[in-house]
Amino acid sequence: MAKTHLVHQFGMGSSIRSHNYTEAAARAIRDALWHNSLNVADAFGFPKEAMLIDVEIGVQQPEAVNTEALLGIFPYGQPQISVVRGGLDVDKPGGGGTTVIANAAVIVSFEMEPRHD
Amino acid sequence: MTEQRIILEMGTGNDLYGEDYTKAACRAVQDALHHSSLVLFKSLGIDHREMRVQVTIGVQQPERVDVDVVTAELPRGRAEVNIVHGGLNVHDPDNDTAHVIATAAIAALLPIDPAQWRLNKMARPDRPMG
Repeated sequence: MAKTHLVHQFGMGSSIRSHNYTEAAARAIRDALWHNSLNVADAFGFPKEAMLIDVEIGVQQPEAVNTEALLGIFPYGQPQISVVRGGLDVDKPGGGGTTVIANAAVIVSFEMEPRHD
Repeated sequence: MTEQRIILEMGTGNDLYGEDYTKAACRAVQDALHHSSLVLFKSLGIDHREMRVQVTIGVQQPERVDVDVVTAELPRGRAEVNIVHGGLNVHDPDNDTAHVIATAAIAALLPIDPAQWRLNKMARPDRPMG
């Protein structure tokens, strides 16, 4: 038994006026994280630092996301962030800019196994 | 084997025009449920009926929530629903109406024995750093 997925968390974030894909992604991650209080590390007796956190972000311009800036959001664990084309951009009426929507999925795993001894 | 809380899911829901506290509570439960997926049931081969689900709903008029209807929103595990005074009502004195906001907190508990599990060798924090 290797890397074991325990929980997936989902969130959405937007940048309404600043066309900032990193900020929209950050808000999507916070939406995913702060709708849930996870106790899985304690429940299995693992240190929180061992938690593996795979983050998938969907936005219309993946290359515009600064993933380094997103790592500081996570209070603990080992986050890894990937960005794909997704989310949604919505133009404002009258050509007044674009509202950016980001989707986030946060996949929580541990490298765990049953103890046989 | 002791029962462990694995997650607390939080959500909010409202009923804007009907002052329906049950509808607001059900929407809060759905919001709480659908921000996460407990894939560990499949990953570890655990039957969801082993899970106990403690639901607390906060609304301004707890007596107006139909507990059985809210309980039916929870398809997995064994759910118990408690309604307490909380949430928020937004009054519109001009139109003599209220928007009803409900808050849901859903705790999922499972019998897990931490002594039965360990991290893989490579993931243990006390391993010598290479």
